[in-house]
Amino acid sequence: MLVVDQLKKNEPQLRLVAVVLAAGLFILFIGLWWVQVVSVHVYQSHLETQSYRTVRLPAVRGKILDREGRVLAENRPSYNLSIYLNDLSDRFKAEYKRIRPVKVTAKVAPFWEFWNRGKTWQTNRVRLSSSQIDAVEWQSRLDVVQQVVADVSQKLEQPLKVDAADFKRHYMTRLALPFPVLKDMTPEQLARFEENTTNGVGAELDLQSVRRYPLGTMASHLLGYLRRDDRSYEGEDSSFSYRLPDYRGVLGIEYAYDNELRGRAGAESVLVNNLGYRQSENIWTQPEPGQNVVLTLDLDLQQVVENSLQSQSSVRIARERTGGVLNAAVVVMDVRNGSVLAMASSPAYDPNDFADGISQAKWNQIQQMTAEKNRATAENYAPGSIFKPIVGLAALETGLNPNAYVDNPGYIYVGRRHITDLASPGKYNFRKAIMDSSNTYFITVGLRAGIENILRLAEKFHFGERCSIPTRQETDGNLPTFSRVQQGWTDGDTANVCIGQGEVAVTPLQMAVAYSAIANGGTVFWPRFVLRIESPDPMQSATATNLNTGLVRDRLGVSPRNLRVLRDAMLAETEDPGGTGGLARVPGLHICGKTGTAEIMDTHNRKIGRTTWFASFAPYENPRYAVVVMVENGTFGGPTCGPIAHDIYQEILRKETGGAANAVASTTN
Amino acid sequence: MFEPAPKQNLDKLQLAALVGLMIIGAAFVFSATMVNESAAVLPWYDQTWVRQIVWYVLGLGGAAAVCLVDYHTLARWSFVVYWAMIICLVAVLIPHIGSMRYGARRWIDLAVFQFQPSEFAKLAFIMAGANFLSRPVDELRRPDVFWKAMGLMLLPFMLIMKEPDLGSALVLLPTGLVMMLVAGTPRAYLFKLVGIVGLLAAIFVVDIVFLPARFQLPMQEYQRNRLLNYFGRNYTDFAPPGATPADLQRLRQRQLDDAYNVRQALISVGSGGLMGKGWRQGTQNALGYLPRAVAHNDFIFSVIAEEEGFVGSVIILALYAVVLFTGLRIAGQARDRLGKLVAVGVVTLIFSHVFINIGMNIRIMPVTGVPLPLLSYGGSSVLCSLIAVGLMQNIHIHRRGY
Repeated sequence: MLVVDQLKKNEPQLRLVAVVLAAGLFILFIGLWWVQVVSVHVYQSHLETQSYRTVRLPAVRGKILDREGRVLAENRPSYNLSIYLNDLSDRFKAEYKRIRPVKVTAKVAPFWEFWNRGKTWQTNRVRLSSSQIDAVEWQSRLDVVQQVVADVSQKLEQPLKVDAADFKRHYMTRLALPFPVLKDMTPEQLARFEENTTNGVGAELDLQSVRRYPLGTMASHLLGYLRRDDRSYEGEDSSFSYRLPDYRGVLGIEYAYDNELRGRAGAESVLVNNLGYRQSENIWTQPEPGQNVVLTLDLDLQQVVENSLQSQSSVRIARERTGGVLNAAVVVMDVRNGSVLAMASSPAYDPNDFADGISQAKWNQIQQMTAEKNRATAENYAPGSIFKPIVGLAALETGLNPNAYVDNPGYIYVGRRHITDLASPGKYNFRKAIMDSSNTYFITVGLRAGIENILRLAEKFHFGERCSIPTRQETDGNLPTFSRVQQGWTDGDTANVCIGQGEVAVTPLQMAVAYSAIANGGTVFWPRFVLRIESPDPMQSATATNLNTGLVRDRLGVSPRNLRVLRDAMLAETEDPGGTGGLARVPGLHICGKTGTAEIMDTHNRKIGRTTWFASFAPYENPRYAVVVMVENGTFGGPTCGPIAHDIYQEILRKETGGAANAVASTTN
Repeated sequence: MFEPAPKQNLDKLQLAALVGLMIIGAAFVFSATMVNESAAVLPWYDQTWVRQIVWYVLGLGGAAAVCLVDYHTLARWSFVVYWAMIICLVAVLIPHIGSMRYGARRWIDLAVFQFQPSEFAKLAFIMAGANFLSRPVDELRRPDVFWKAMGLMLLPFMLIMKEPDLGSALVLLPTGLVMMLVAGTPRAYLFKLVGIVGLLAAIFVVDIVFLPARFQLPMQEYQRNRLLNYFGRNYTDFAPPGATPADLQRLRQRQLDDAYNVRQALISVGSGGLMGKGWRQGTQNALGYLPRAVAHNDFIFSVIAEEEGFVGSVIILALYAVVLFTGLRIAGQARDRLGKLVAVGVVTLIFSHVFINIGMNIRIMPVTGVPLPLLSYGGSSVLCSLIAVGLMQNIHIHRRGY
């Protein structure tokens, strides 16, 4: 309308000016439309990249619990004292002004200010090169931070120091985050700080969660340990400016169930100003806490196992032989479903040592003792005589009459090889052969049955194969293959297998699975460590994921009669006065067992050590528990391992009767 | 409002637009400066937005005073004022009189008020130029009159260039040119003038932007850098032949630093989007990305654009459009050529400021320190803008009777 007014008038020059003005405003209009409407996303993302820093917030790691919900691994709050640098930026500036060099010069009034004769003094800024300015700036920042830390240290009554290089690195790389001056404060320091914190000093407390294993070395091999690792996981946002300390499982359950335990990291955005100091923060995504992992482990049993390994006098000799460190392993398994109720390996490490980066000295010590090795699952051992029940079962299945006698002169020749038999000379049937662990008997019946039949049964037990446990601590064991026995295989080799030596190697866990199968009537289970994975929120316990129980790996397909023969013989091993496993005996519990003592040969066939075993299950009437004890360099299976098994069975009996009493009590009430 | 003149004689539409601009100006000077606690602890009378309002009041008083006197009387004094301003422009260049800020001598320190002669020189030039050009059209055909008019324009132009204040100097050119056009100077002169100026400018730009360093005209380093940035050239292309990689890196860093204000202004404007983030919600200014020293004056538009978005920008444009086109209407209704020329001069001056300033915020104009009339903080600028508007109202009051 306005424009039209002008254009109607017959004044060409004014009309021209109006057109130019309109055109100019239109250009601005189009320009603004282009910048603010069309390219808005470009500039908004520019704005974000320059003024937001994202911080990865690790989630609280889930707990690891035993089957009763008792804590094996949890998190404890750790308080760090940190300085918020953004609060200090004004003080940095003031300090810079204060320490910047100045030049005092005389000021002469200009000539026309006749009333103002004489000199006055004034301070002039000195010109500094940019590197000098930089140095003065660093000095002023460091001064201020040291002042703050000195204040805090006075309050805490504890000397604190700021490392200049540390501070500079933090300032350059993590400016938007608080600068930590005291990590993991003690409760006393915390109290002092809280008490004196009335006037703001620019220092505040930061909460961080640190992994804690309250029982120290207890079940440490199964639990594994963590390593500091802040990286983003797959499927997680990976473009963070800063990351707060986070951990990742390296071994054991911590590794196997890392996905479930670690939860989902959250993201926080920190708004920073043009100097990079933080202005405000805002959590974009809350971290989701990790889930709890409930193990099949029974803490009472585990405790008894570990105590026994440490204090049982029967392993004294074994400990002395290996330089004061007992190398041993124990597995207790529920024979009905393959759940591992206790698993211990000695020597053990303390997973707490790994929480904040392990010291070189401690790591060397662990390495030297091979304490990080889980001997229950990750080491091959010759089974020795505890392999005889498998050989015997294979012989029974191929028609051996258990009551038939074999003559034992105290030795046996296989080909031209002479093998001594520690069982005294005499006539042996199946039961007596198991009880006295007669080499002659089992070599004789094993050769009669043939290596193929033995291997066929051993493969059903899945010797020489991994149990697929997820803890990254496993070895295959060893079992000759059928093609191996086709070529260059001698009766001597078969004789070795019959007495659990030579080319047979097992892990204690494999033995526990095998003895469970003998105990439960022929079902080979996958061993299992985790009962369920549940939400950390107790209100949501209904959402727990129960892991399958009793995953059947194989069935032996042997006749129940033969199994009963074997079980009877194994019962006699512990119950009969002549049996070698008598030390494991517990009144009130019928234990079927087998002792073993395997010789360890070097490549020149010289004895360099022995592995002693006691493998067993109980109760005889209705087997529920398999207990396998292995000690390196013990004297013999019976005297070395038997007492440990005894301790374990005593606890099992206590639990069983206590549980029964409770059950009775609850039904009568 | 302006008492002695009857109310119906004021152009109320223009006044309404002006009041709108002043309210927006005060609001966003507030928003641009009250971003941190140190600004809020200043006593209220020292706060920038209060001072801006004081300037508005003083400016309105000045405008009212200008309206009291017939513009013919004012025009009679225009050459006195013009020469007084020329003396001020010379004085400002003398150390101890002109005070130095940001590397330029533009201000005379009057204790209570930093007086910026270049702003007032623009007004003086409009009055003197209009007075000179309002002679009979026949005389304008004479070359000596044309050259005198040119001299009238170029004298303050050169002095302001010397300060240096490229932006203020440049707005004199379109103002003078439009006044000469409207006055009726023969087309031939104007075409020649525009042609010569255009050619010189083209040579200048080509020389600065495309020729290697040793062929270039002498010029202030920062001015050349602004031009290079505007035309999107890299400093490194002008590095001396033996430059080391470290030198080149330093040049690149310098370029980033020099382009900083423009880049941040663009991010402010662009991130405002359609609706903006809301008054005092802009982050660019609050977080200091948009430098504090310029956010409330030369770059006030980017603060408004960020906080009020495209809608706000268009409202600003519309308000200026109202002021400008009512100004042109006043020119059309003026009683004589003097009034018409003054009105056209003021309109062109305001338009040039608006175009250069907003254009610089969205990078269609190079950075020159030109304030946005009535919105930018600054006493001289506000006073001059309001007095200039007062002149237009004066012409409106004494317009042709219909």
